[in-house]
Amino acid sequence: MAAAGKDLFANGSAVILSGGKSSRMGTPKALLRFDGEPLIVHLARRLSTLFSDLVVVAAPGQDLPPLRANIVRDEIAYQGPVGGIYYGLRASAGEFSFVASCDVPFLEPRLIAHLASLIDGYDAVAPYWENRFQPLCGIYRRTVLPHLKHQLDRGELRPIHLYDKVRTRKVEEEELRRFDPEGLSFFNMNSPADYALAQQKWDERKRFETETEKEDGASISVSSPVSVTVELFGVPRLIAKTKEVCLSLPEAATLSDVFSALAVRLPVLAGRVIDAQKSALSSGYACNVNGLSFVRNPSVRINPGDRIFILAADAGG
Amino acid sequence: MHGFHGRLLHIDLTSRAISLIALEESRLRSYLGGIGLGASLLYEWTPRGVEPFAPDNPLIFASAPLVGTGLTTTAKFAVLTKSPLTGFIADSLSSSRFALELKRIGVDAIVLTGRASSLVYIFVGHGKVEIREAERFRGRSAAATDTLVQEDLGEPARVAAIGLAGENRVRFSTISNEGRHAGRGGVGAVMGAKNLKAIALLGEKDISCADPAGVEAVAESLRRRSLGPLTEKYRSIGTVANLSVFDRLGTLPTRNFRQSTFDGAEAVSGEALTENHFSRRHGCASCTILCERLFKSAGGEEQRLEYETLFALGPLCGVDDPQTIISAAALCDEYGLDTISTGGTLAWAMECAEKGRLPADKNLSLRFGDGAALLAAIPAIALRQDIGSVLAEGSRRAAAAIGGDSGYWAMHVKGLEMPGYEPRSLKTMALGLAVSPRGACHNRSGAYEADFSGAVDRLHADSGRGALVAESEDYTAVLDSLIVCKFLRKCFGDFYGEAADLLAKVTGWNYTAAELKRAGERIHTIKKLFNVREGWRPEDDWLPERVLAEALPNGVAEGVGLTAAELSGMIRSYYRARGWDDAGYVPEKKLIDLGIS
Repeated sequence: MAAAGKDLFANGSAVILSGGKSSRMGTPKALLRFDGEPLIVHLARRLSTLFSDLVVVAAPGQDLPPLRANIVRDEIAYQGPVGGIYYGLRASAGEFSFVASCDVPFLEPRLIAHLASLIDGYDAVAPYWENRFQPLCGIYRRTVLPHLKHQLDRGELRPIHLYDKVRTRKVEEEELRRFDPEGLSFFNMNSPADYALAQQKWDERKRFETETEKEDGASISVSSPVSVTVELFGVPRLIAKTKEVCLSLPEAATLSDVFSALAVRLPVLAGRVIDAQKSALSSGYACNVNGLSFVRNPSVRINPGDRIFILAADAGG
Repeated sequence: MHGFHGRLLHIDLTSRAISLIALEESRLRSYLGGIGLGASLLYEWTPRGVEPFAPDNPLIFASAPLVGTGLTTTAKFAVLTKSPLTGFIADSLSSSRFALELKRIGVDAIVLTGRASSLVYIFVGHGKVEIREAERFRGRSAAATDTLVQEDLGEPARVAAIGLAGENRVRFSTISNEGRHAGRGGVGAVMGAKNLKAIALLGEKDISCADPAGVEAVAESLRRRSLGPLTEKYRSIGTVANLSVFDRLGTLPTRNFRQSTFDGAEAVSGEALTENHFSRRHGCASCTILCERLFKSAGGEEQRLEYETLFALGPLCGVDDPQTIISAAALCDEYGLDTISTGGTLAWAMECAEKGRLPADKNLSLRFGDGAALLAAIPAIALRQDIGSVLAEGSRRAAAAIGGDSGYWAMHVKGLEMPGYEPRSLKTMALGLAVSPRGACHNRSGAYEADFSGAVDRLHADSGRGALVAESEDYTAVLDSLIVCKFLRKCFGDFYGEAADLLAKVTGWNYTAAELKRAGERIHTIKKLFNVREGWRPEDDWLPERVLAEALPNGVAEGVGLTAAELSGMIRSYYRARGWDDAGYVPEKKLIDLGIS
């Protein structure tokens, strides 16, 4: 898979559905402040690294901040996600679109890029997380438009009915975890408590990034990270419930940075597999780079595309 | 005397003569216990050139100074004999309560010679030795025999026994106790050749230490260390954890060493077994690590699996169904077969069948990946039925019987089938396998440790490996003679220093780190001397032809091979590091240095 970068999918679009009622939140979700800006602006920026064409589907009369996006309005308000997907796809320029709601602050670009890369030969790519399809974090080809129209006409307002009718690529949890171990891409905010939790998580992430920045004297840039994949074996695999994780790190990152980032991404490894300072492996673990060299010195620089294995230090059998 | 009893028990099964023979302190100081004491006794008691199944070939059970002291992982004993598979030394370890009982009967070793006129078992307890009739146990598994012997005695004795494979002198049969096995080299076949079904022990002697409080303090410290991150792999998943890692590193021998990665690795990985088939964690007596993993069979029975069993009955035979592997392991335990040699010999046979070298009506439908054929072949080996009688001889003899070019794919060293460490992508291990006195062995040295540590480039051979292998062998010889389990090895900071101190606390001897290191070298050397006396030639230190002729076809080690020149170079570096001559013989001067007379 290619690394996430500007205009990775020239033939794809992103569609954000912002026209929901926000009734439990009590205030329009699209306008919630997140990372110092309205949430929808934050999302639009995140998605712009993958897709240059962005469509925002809003309710009739809904207020929106200035956005570099094609804004379309639901023809009939509150028809639910099927209507939103339909109007968004119809207005998009791409052959396919990534569709998300506006209340998901942690969309993981690597996951989206992976989902988009699966659309060849399918009409829909449907993540399946915690025993449920996640249609508002999926990919849809324009070919599904007639089916959605038909569903709207018949009042079939659940998007997952579409999956029975078109060529759908189901993406299982294990595959998703490779790109988003905690499934934060599927975390949507419905209540003030969800919003508070999201802000707290975001602050933690920012703090970690700032610390890493200070230590390295290099900056983290969403658009030009060094991407590496960490493969987990044995105890780390079992407790993290995932086989591999993709990480983005600053250009001059070292193995130490990999371990630190991994401890943040998979907190369950901190203390047990990664040591308290979170900059080295615990004494029972070893690290191998690309299946070739066992590396004991954590200040060794990593290279883009490296695969870093974390395994038990003792090979006795 | 503390830590030892200073005597051995000799039982001659032909004459039924029983005697206690003194073991002088100097020998115990020089060779410790376990593998060291056993090797020293084997050298003394084996008539030169004896046929392994002949009555005169001794079968030796050896205890050790740390056994019974309460130190974690030390409930172990050694079994030694001249191997019917290799014709060289067979030195196997096993563990659990039989080990404690062996120490408590008040001897440091049992030496068995002769052959009983009918199937018997030996009982040692209440200060006497009895040789009892065992014909009615014929054909029973070791586990069943254990129960039957205890019923027969009416006492809770600890029992080590052979299964049907041992009775039938299958050359890779085991001696088993409580689900553990003295597995490699065919010690069970020698026991079968002596018409000895089981040994039952009921000990009454106290085990004394010179400094009980000091030993207790070390025991507590080691217990604590044994529960830290250094043993987490063994405590959380067990040795089966190796499989997925080895696959990814291109070190998982697959389809009779034609590949070093397995397309079905995911399905039979330790992680998948843990998630889908785990039943229970178990351990030897006196152990805090509890590395044993019992998995559930389709029928709900529990079966122990270790990495070597998993690799040998799985990827090596192309089998990717966990239930088949669990069933195959259960059959091996039932009959008393070494799972590594069983898998290795069957993988050889599968390749023979694939190449049309076995008659179609006699090949048991063996082919790589065919689980049903694998399960049918194991009883055939134990019962020596049809082609099973050829396979029961091990891959080297089977290849000689089938002839043609089939020796090319018989994957053994000195006749002992290869364990699950691919030598082409683990160059230090390649050397370790080639020179090990008992044949292709992963236990009497830890040569692979260097390859997995980053201290060396595992894919390239160099002349530094000789010293690494020699050091690893000596170190392991000490572990195996004290006895301390290898899975505790990383918990020591300064191993020789700590172990010498511990030995001093147990025995009361003033024992130094340097003396202990020298004992390790001495123990390894006596094994080599045994082999030389039994006909070792320089060409015996070598690897199977396939390893030297074929590069690995896929995985991260794709294209990596090992040339004869590289292997020769490493072997020369090993002989030099050992102070042996260039052909691998031990010079007189070395013997004098080590005090071997």
